[in-house]
This record gives sequence, structure tokens and C-alpha cells, in this order.
Amino acid sequence: MTRDFVITLCDGPSCMQKKSKELKEAVEKELEKHNLANRVRINISGCLGMCKNGPVVVINPLYTLYGQVTPADIPEIIQSHILKNKPLKRLAIEEDHLYNRFFRVFGDVNFFGKQMRITLRNCGIIDPESLDDYLSVRGYEALAKVLSGMAPQEVVSEVKKSGLRGRGGAGFPTGIKWELTAQQNSDEKFVICNADEGDPGAFMDRSTIEGDPHTVIEGMIIGGYAVGAKKGIIYIRAEYPLAVKRLQKGIAAAKAQGFLGENILGSGFSFDIEIRLGAGAFVCGEETALIHSIEGHRGMPRPRPPFPSVQGLFDKPTLINNVETWANIPVIIIDGAEWFSSIGTQKSKGTKVFALAGKINNTGLVEVPMGTTLKEIIYDIGGGIPNNKKFKAIQTGGPSGGCLSEEYLDTPIDYDSLAKAGSIMGSGGMIVIDEDSCMVNIAKFFLEFTQNESCGKCTPCREGTKRMLEILTRLTEGKGQEGDIEKLERLGNMIKKSSLCGLGQSAPNPVLSTIKNFRVEYEEHIRDKKCRAGACSAMAVYEVTDKCVGCGVCKRACPVKAISGAPKAMHEINQDKCVKCGLCFRNCKFDAIIKKG
Amino acid sequence: MSTPMELIKQKRAEAINRIHSKGYLSTKRVYVGMATCEIAAGSKEVMEVFSQAMKNGLTDVYLSQKGCAGRCNLEPTVEVVEDGKIPVKYCKVTPEMAQLIVERHLKKGEVVKEWLIK
Ligand SMILES: Cc1cc2nc3c(=O)[nH]c(=O)nc-3n(C[C@H](O)[C@H](O)[C@H](O)COP(=O)(O)O)c2cc1C
Repeated sequence: MTRDFVITLCDGPSCMQKKSKELKEAVEKELEKHNLANRVRINISGCLGMCKNGPVVVINPLYTLYGQVTPADIPEIIQSHILKNKPLKRLAIEEDHLYNRFFRVFGDVNFFGKQMRITLRNCGIIDPESLDDYLSVRGYEALAKVLSGMAPQEVVSEVKKSGLRGRGGAGFPTGIKWELTAQQNSDEKFVICNADEGDPGAFMDRSTIEGDPHTVIEGMIIGGYAVGAKKGIIYIRAEYPLAVKRLQKGIAAAKAQGFLGENILGSGFSFDIEIRLGAGAFVCGEETALIHSIEGHRGMPRPRPPFPSVQGLFDKPTLINNVETWANIPVIIIDGAEWFSSIGTQKSKGTKVFALAGKINNTGLVEVPMGTTLKEIIYDIGGGIPNNKKFKAIQTGGPSGGCLSEEYLDTPIDYDSLAKAGSIMGSGGMIVIDEDSCMVNIAKFFLEFTQNESCGKCTPCREGTKRMLEILTRLTEGKGQEGDIEKLERLGNMIKKSSLCGLGQSAPNPVLSTIKNFRVEYEEHIRDKKCRAGACSAMAVYEVTDKCVGCGVCKRACPVKAISGAPKAMHEINQDKCVKCGLCFRNCKFDAIIKKG
Repeated sequence: MSTPMELIKQKRAEAINRIHSKGYLSTKRVYVGMATCEIAAGSKEVMEVFSQAMKNGLTDVYLSQKGCAGRCNLEPTVEVVEDGKIPVKYCKVTPEMAQLIVERHLKKGEVVKEWLIK
């Protein structure tokens, strides 16, 4: 519903403590008094990142932030802003954070209002193919700030102070990586942006580049300045043609305006960026394999150390970061490390973008402060599970991650809590699973992917994942044997320990975590030849109930003639002949055929 | 010599001038989602309707593309932004709906409430 005004109350932990509840009551009372309830909407948002000015109230249109508001201030605010259309100067605060613009346009929709968009601050707001648009939202100001008097050392320490950790999966502290690269003595250094994004179902990086390519470019130039590199490379998969086109256009425009090339903005610093297309192998997202791929070799990982920071592309010190990591850099420089580190948890700072998918009402990209709970994402932002189905599990971290059951819903999302719960943050895939999905089947799906993508260098990863997949396939076909679970565990742990790169080290995770959290389902598949979700079709049993009117549709549909019965009499399925294709079940117009797990 | 900071401020001012000269200060600004996901959902055709309307004489409107805001299952999305009003956010817009948004909202100022993101 559009109403004339939207009042947003920040419900972040800090504002809440400072009594945002009382504020809400005061607002409601005042609206009631002026008979405004159907002209004004009250919206409760997630943390707006202005905690020191809390409790914060935002009113749009005439977008105004009010800080340190008490219930007693509410009548005056409403009188002035809403009844007279004049923002109340006395309590208005100036907090010009880079992300404010997104909130201005989208903040009144629940799905967006609960988010905090730092990385995706311009996505959906500006024309991504217009450098002018980017400049108008303070684009390249961070670069100018850095070049106008911050020594490379200071830039590194600002990033270090921000507490930013790599968004590509491993969560390594970005500042420390920068420092290590900066410390190397070398005639040549490189900066790489990892835009390979191989996780099935993940599209955070693509969206970031397609919606705001310049923020990634600006981040990389700043990185180059900080570590002393003159050359940047964006490694992006050829399957992202629109993202590639926007990057090319962005690089050309940035060059024309003097943000790339020789003597940037007259500072004496020179930097250039080149795009390399990947062919879409998952392992090429791993940093050492990626470097091999750029060098023209087959994409295979190598042991670390030496880390790329010391010996990377063409054996030169190389700073490699993920797209999302780069997109945070301009914000850290402009809004400051102190502000950035005020968002998030003790050990995970800032926000994280997740690609929310699966059995959830609102699928899409969500960016939330670290520390938001899984429950808040699934129910407050995601709108819960469709069709009144029951929540079963959430898979985080893509093919390297794990599945968490209901008891973990209150887990605050950060690198360490998710790891402790038995999954990982990963690059931000998040798939919601409801009661109709079989956990063995889910594990099989992810393992099929990693098994396919194994580069073949390490035997445990190449052969071990194949054997694991064979066992899982057997289970889903109702041919499981006693001891299969233990075999999966043994193989899984062995592959984890003896593989060279993250692919093998994490490939068994979906299997191991589902065994840990949903062992009963594995046992049922083996002992009872039963799939409680009814997803493993080989184990399904179809039966005719007394709703049957004897129309004969199922009999005609059955490809193996397993159904018999006289017209207008109840039909019957011969279980020995049935091949479990489900055609009778799908064709019956009277819901007379039931499927049992 | 100016510092990089002075240069960027100047460049920003120039950029804003250029945006203004393209009609940014029109009463209504229309943003059509044009990321891979939006395009797959049919936003190119929707964009075409709006740009055709502009060619056919629709005035006082600024038309722009935008990236994906993140509501995958509601795409294509279109926003109509007007100063002093809550930005209007349409979802699952088809070319036919776009035509009606032109007629009803852009020309007559009537928000089509049924099509808004809830
Ligand atoms: C099998 C595998 C695939 C990976 N794929 C990606 C990827 O697609 N994108 C990415 O940024 N990092 C990926 N990584 C992580 C990179 O090796 C590396 O940690 C990351 O690029 C470092 O950047 P960050 O510190 O900014 O996260 C992958 C790692 C492994 C083991």
C-alpha cells in the first residue's frame, strides 16, 4: 500500500535498548489523535547503523533522519513534518552514509526495510552504465580521498581497523592480506578481483557488478594504491556476458575521466584494469587455480604457502579479493573504519549479502548486518515458508557448506557462529528446505556438483567423492546397506583431511552435516527403505484410497499396466509391477491416489 | 594545481549537470530493472514500452535503467520516483501493464495500486 508518509523506527539492538518500543506506542497514539492512521505507515527496520544517534526515526517523503528521539518529541515531529510538511530542524540529524539512498527509495517495503545495504547500496538505484550516475552518489570520492593525502600505509591500516573479512568464502581478514602484500619488495605487483562465482545458486557478485560496476573498479584502484600495484585483473566467468559488458564500459568510462591509466587525478599514481574471462570451472574460483588459469595454464590449485600475497600471478606478490570484498572498500574509506566496525558482531564486521532461495516466499538478494539470526532472514525478510509447510533445514555456504536444522535458527550469522554450528558462511548461498525435501537427496545434489567439478589432481577428492556419490545414489534408490553411513563418514573425513584445496576439503560437508543433523533420515532409507519426504521416487508406494470413483484414468495412464479394476469400482495397484513413475498420482482428478514415503 | 579531492568535486558537479540536462529534474523519474535476472523476466520489452512512449511525446518524465534490487520473484520491477512522494514500486510488470502505467500513472498521476510491491 502506498500511503502519504512512512515513519520508520530503527529496531536495531542498540535503538531497541534505547526504547524504540515506547516510541512506537507514542507514534501510534499521536497518529490516532490526528486521525492519520490510514495516511501514515509505520515501518520497523533493522539496524540503520546510526547507533550513536539512537533511537533513530526516519520519515519519508522529505527524507529526514531524526536522532535521539524520545516519546515526548513525537507530537512535535508529527505536527511539523506530517501536518505542515516541514521537517523538524531541532531533531534532524545529518548522517550522510553512502547507503542512505537505497533506503530512501525502498525502505518502506518490509523485505528491503529490514536490510542494510552497504555492498549493494547503489544496486537498483542508479544506472549502472552511467559513470555520471555513479559520480552523483559520491562515486570515486573514496579514491580521491586516498590520493589526496592518505599514505598507502594509512589505507592499509584503515582497512585493517575496519575488521573487514574476505567475502569469497574463507573469511580471511582483508587488512592482513593487504598488509602482507604491501610489505613485499617487488618491481611488480598485481591486484585481482575474483568474480568467478561458481557456487550453484549464488548470484551476489553478478548482481553487484551488473548493478554497480564502478564500486568494484574503485575498490580495486584503492587496493592497488595501498599495496603498490599498477595492474589489476578482473577474473570473471564468460557466462556473465552482461556483467562483463558493464565492466568493460565502466573501465573505458573511468579511463576517459582519468580514474584509471597514467597519473590518476594528477596524483602521480598509475593503475590499469584488464578483464580475463573464465570458462566456468568451479575450481577456478580457488585463488591458486585462478592464478594458473590467468597465466594460461590448466586451472589446478597448488599448495600454499607461498600465499599469493607473497608469490602469486607470474610469481609476483598478488592481492586477490572477492567482488563483495572490493565493493566494501569505498564505504570504509568514506564512512570510516570506525563506523564500519560498529556494524556486525565482535569478530565479523559489516554486512553480508545472501542469495536467498529454495522453499521461501521472498526469494532474492538480501544484505544484512552480521549477527542477524537465521530466523530473522527466513521469517522477517524471507516471509516464511510457502503453502504452510514446515521448515526443515537451511543450507548455507553452497557446496562447501552444511545443512542446519531448526534448533540452529537462532544462530547469529557470522563466520564463527556458523562454523560452530557445523556449516559455513561461504560466499552467501542460502537455500531453505521444507518438509517435502529429502536430506539424503539434498546431500547427493551438492556432492554431484563437487564430484563433477573436482579437478582430479588429488586422488581422495577425485575418487573419494565418486565413491561417496555411489553410496548416496544407492541410498536414494532404496538399495542402502547397513554400514553405509559409517562408510560415508569415514570417506568424508578422509577426503577432507587429504585434499589440497578447499574444494576437496569441503566437498563432504553437505553429506557430513546432514548425517549429523538428520541421521534418522539416512537410517530410514537404509533400514526401512523409506523416504519420509516422499522425494526419493524409487521408494515411494502409491496406493488407491476409497475416494476412487473408478474413472479409469490411472489405469490408462499407467505405462506398465500395474493398475486394475472394473469401471466405477475402486481400482488397485499391483505393487510388484509398479515402477513408481507417479503418473497415476499426478493424473488422478479425485485425489484418490496417495503417495507414501 | 588542484588536489584529487577538488578534482572529484568538480567532476561530480559536471556529472550532475549532465544528468540534469538529460531531464532528471522532470516531475517523474522512471527506473526499469535491467540486470540479467530482470531481462530474463521480460524487462527489455517493458523498457521498450516506456521509451516508445517518450518518443511519442510523453514529457516531464526521466527514464533510466537500473540494476537488480534483489526481489527475484517479483521481477520485472519498475519504480516511479517523484519528489515529495513515497517512491512507487511496481512488480511483475508486463508490456501491457507498462502501457497502462504510462497512461494512468505517468500521464494522469494515478497510482495503480494493485501492482505494487507489498
Ligand atoms: C573450490 C573453491 C572455489 C572458490 N570459488 C570462489 C569464487 O567463486 N569466488 C571467490 O571470490 N572466491 C572463491 N574461492 C575463495 C578463493 O580461493 C579466495 O579465498 C578468495 O578469492 C579470496 O578473496 P576474499 O579474501 O576477498 O574472500 C573459492 C575457493 C575454493 C576452494
